[in-house]
Amino acid sequence: MSGDGMANVERAQPVLTARAAGLVGCAECGHVYPRGTPQCDLCGTPLVSRDKASLQKVWAWLLAGMVVYIPANVYPMLRTSTLGKTQESTIVGGVFDLIDHGSIGVALIVFVASVVIPIGKFIAIAYLALRVKSGKPGTSVHLHLYELVEFIGRWSMIDVFVVAILSALVQLNFVATINPGIAAVSFALSVAFTMISANSFDPRLIWDAPPEGAPV
Amino acid sequence: MTEPTPADMNVTPPKKSVLRNLSFVWVIPFLALAVSLGIAWQSFADRGTLIEISFENASGVVAGETTLRYREVVVGTVEDVGFSSDLGRVIVSVRVDNDVAPFIDAEALFWVVRPEVSARGISGLSTVLSGVYIEGAWDNEPAAEARDFIGMSSPPLTQPGRPGKRITLATDDGTTISNGSPVLFRGVEVGRLETPRLSADGRTVMVDAFIDAPHDARLTQATRFWDTSGFKLSFGTSGFAVDFDSLASLVTGGVQFDNLYDDGDPLPPGYVFNLYEEEEDARRNTLVRGPAQGVPFSIQFSESVNGLEAGDDVTYQGLEVGVVTELRSRVIESQFGPELSLLVNVSIDPQRMGLEAGTTPEETVDFFRFAVDSGMRARLATESLLSSDLRIELVVLDDVAPARLREDDNDLPRLPSVESNLSDFTATAEGVLERINALPIEEVMQRAISLMDSVEALARNEDLQRMPGSAVALLDDTRAIVGSEAIQSIPAQLDAAVTDLTDLVAEVREGGAVASLNSALARLDEAMVGINEASRQAPALTQNLTKLTEEEIPAVLAELQGVAETAQTLELEGLVGSATQTLNRIDALIAQDAVQGIPDAVSAAIDDVREVVADVRAEGAVQTLGSSLRNLDRAMADISTATQDAPAVTRNLRQITETDIPDLLAEIDAVATKAQELELQALVDSATGTLNRVDALVGSDETLDLPGTLNDALTEMRLALAELRAGGVVENLNATLQSASDAAGSVAQSVEDLPQLTARLERLVAETETVITSYGERSDFSTQTLSALREVQSAAKAISNLAREIERSPNSLIFGR
Repeated sequence: MSGDGMANVERAQPVLTARAAGLVGCAECGHVYPRGTPQCDLCGTPLVSRDKASLQKVWAWLLAGMVVYIPANVYPMLRTSTLGKTQESTIVGGVFDLIDHGSIGVALIVFVASVVIPIGKFIAIAYLALRVKSGKPGTSVHLHLYELVEFIGRWSMIDVFVVAILSALVQLNFVATINPGIAAVSFALSVAFTMISANSFDPRLIWDAPPEGAPV
Repeated sequence: MTEPTPADMNVTPPKKSVLRNLSFVWVIPFLALAVSLGIAWQSFADRGTLIEISFENASGVVAGETTLRYREVVVGTVEDVGFSSDLGRVIVSVRVDNDVAPFIDAEALFWVVRPEVSARGISGLSTVLSGVYIEGAWDNEPAAEARDFIGMSSPPLTQPGRPGKRITLATDDGTTISNGSPVLFRGVEVGRLETPRLSADGRTVMVDAFIDAPHDARLTQATRFWDTSGFKLSFGTSGFAVDFDSLASLVTGGVQFDNLYDDGDPLPPGYVFNLYEEEEDARRNTLVRGPAQGVPFSIQFSESVNGLEAGDDVTYQGLEVGVVTELRSRVIESQFGPELSLLVNVSIDPQRMGLEAGTTPEETVDFFRFAVDSGMRARLATESLLSSDLRIELVVLDDVAPARLREDDNDLPRLPSVESNLSDFTATAEGVLERINALPIEEVMQRAISLMDSVEALARNEDLQRMPGSAVALLDDTRAIVGSEAIQSIPAQLDAAVTDLTDLVAEVREGGAVASLNSALARLDEAMVGINEASRQAPALTQNLTKLTEEEIPAVLAELQGVAETAQTLELEGLVGSATQTLNRIDALIAQDAVQGIPDAVSAAIDDVREVVADVRAEGAVQTLGSSLRNLDRAMADISTATQDAPAVTRNLRQITETDIPDLLAEIDAVATKAQELELQALVDSATGTLNRVDALVGSDETLDLPGTLNDALTEMRLALAELRAGGVVENLNATLQSASDAAGSVAQSVEDLPQLTARLERLVAETETVITSYGERSDFSTQTLSALREVQSAAKAISNLAREIERSPNSLIFGR
């Protein structure tokens, strides 16, 4: 969303940021206004040069996402009742079941979507936030990382969608019934929280280098 | 646009406090944390209570899948399936919902529900697809929770908390009882049986039953249970009947109950009902009988218990107080080495002995210990006269050797026994004799006498001699019978019987009987002396008689001849014809096969008699005979005394013949003349009628059936004899002979009256003399004779009556009435 043209700037050179130029850019549409402009004329977005609470929000949402990620993995994702037999499977348990059944491809997809990506997002967001906090100016790699995180976040919802669709479709009473478990909600929350966390990150902070000799 | 200026340095010099800087967004992670923790805590709290149930095996139970259900609602899940420490049982750990857990107390029952097909139907069908589950049952009262349970292998008959009453039944035979059999009340199922089990001593089968409310209120001490398993076939006047209570009870066995009477006493705790085999048994036993309440004892008998079997009664003064449960032999160490003895186990109901309800077995044994000390003994007794069935009776005897109730830790308390005296048999035999005594022999004799008088009158008739034609045919048939092999073999059998008797007599000789006989003969000798003396008077008597025969009698005979001639003219043809016909019928009767078969029966009867005689010989009858002979001896002594009076009698007789008889003959002469004039036609008519009736009687079907009946009677007699022999009657015969001996004693006593009788006889003769003298008056005697003839006529009528009577009830020929 904030893929503006500055991403292509070489990191070796000192970068002239909008802020450095006394401007403020709209985070939504990229239009640049002079500093002090309260809101974007085009899209009405309030204009701030740097969101001072950004990092706090990132950390807060990230923590929330990590907290709810725990029950998402501990509790069953699906409760499958087939002919009177009820089976509850957690995410990792489901992956292993799939491997047992030989569906390694599907297992891989589930594993990546439900485990690798969320955890990767946690790590990535935490890394970016720490990086910003440390005050080193970022490079394009960091921006790409951020973009990747933002892009891929929604795909983590694939698990939740599967659960939702299955629960809606497979309600055949005694023969087969699938119900979402607590983990489904937790997982959806976790994904949502991490997306909000990623969204709360102000990528412009990546470029800000602390003034020499002064900590942020 | 303002000129770009270097960015204002954020110069807020002191950093604000961290708290002040905190964004509101931090609420979110804490909220998430709180929620997560909340979920975690809730799921921990909801995890439920873990209980452990041990089963024989965990067939079909899968950890994590198998559920625990209560009233078909899932209330828990199996978490783990493991073993007990010794691998003896399977321990199933079940996580039970917390809201249910408080109700699971020590009374709770658990069993695995599997698909089951039984006579009661199909159950647990849903588990075919879904797999087994564990069903739990507990009452509705929260109680102290328990954690460890022992699972049942099959569903319980009744679930805890179900209204009703659990009772215990006792029976001898558990073959017809199976788990789940219905308990019926008037055909309606009101409960179920559980699995039968053996009692601790293995003698009875106990089975628990549960009677549902409100029917359990019907259970009192008056309630009787009986087995309705299977079906019953019966023949009766109403035809052929098949009876079974319900198809289910036919297959699985069932039990029915009913109350013998209303307002029975309430059940004491621990009451055990007796389960009877038949409804009749159950209803007959107003007082409880059987293994349920019985206290076991054993009795040792030294005599044969042939005829006693399990199930026979134990009586006390005629009241049934118990039952024989078992007969067994046992080797007992005695001072003479090991001895085989017969032990009879009985079960005695203390209540029937008059003890209070609820008396413990120990108290009952105490009671019997006291009773034995005061003379109670057991002995064998026969059930009836001719049957060899025995029962055991408890009697209190005054003069018995002291004995004690033998109590041994390893065995049942043993009641002492005494030899049976079989007094009841003797009493019955006496009764039979009394009955024989009461028979109207007198009457029969009188009838016979009058019959013979009539017959005699008939026989005088010459025309009767024409009858032999028929008689010859009859004789031919009779000869054929006599010539039959069966009859031929009779002498041989008789011979053998006589041989037996000879042996018997030899034994008699060896016994003291001969001495008695000798003395009896001595007495007879004395009697002969008396008679001798009497005969010395005889020559004179003979002289008189000769004179009589020479002079007087011819004249009388001449007159009689005249009478006979008159009689000849009577119409006797019809009479003789009837007689001939009668003989023909008798002939036909004898020719019947049934009559031919009689000799066989007789022969077989003789065989039996021989065997009986052999038995008699084997037993101690001879001694008894000796005492009988002693009595006979006494009787002979009395007879001897009596004969001493004989000379006087002879003297009187002589006097009579000398003087009176000639006159008498003269009178008879006159009477005969008179008699000639009498109309005898009526008499003959009457006789003819009589013969016709006899004819009809003999010709009747009933009479023809008689031989068959007789045959049957003989066969029955044979069977009776065989039974007598088998039933150890000879021992009883001994006692009877004892009675006979007593009877002989009585005869002896009565013979003592003989001298008096002789004296009376003498007086009678004297009177006769006077009477004959009085015959001198001619008219008197004639009148008498005429009335005598009239009596002959009435005798003929009597025969006619008799014939009619026999015709009415031919049985009387056999039974002598």
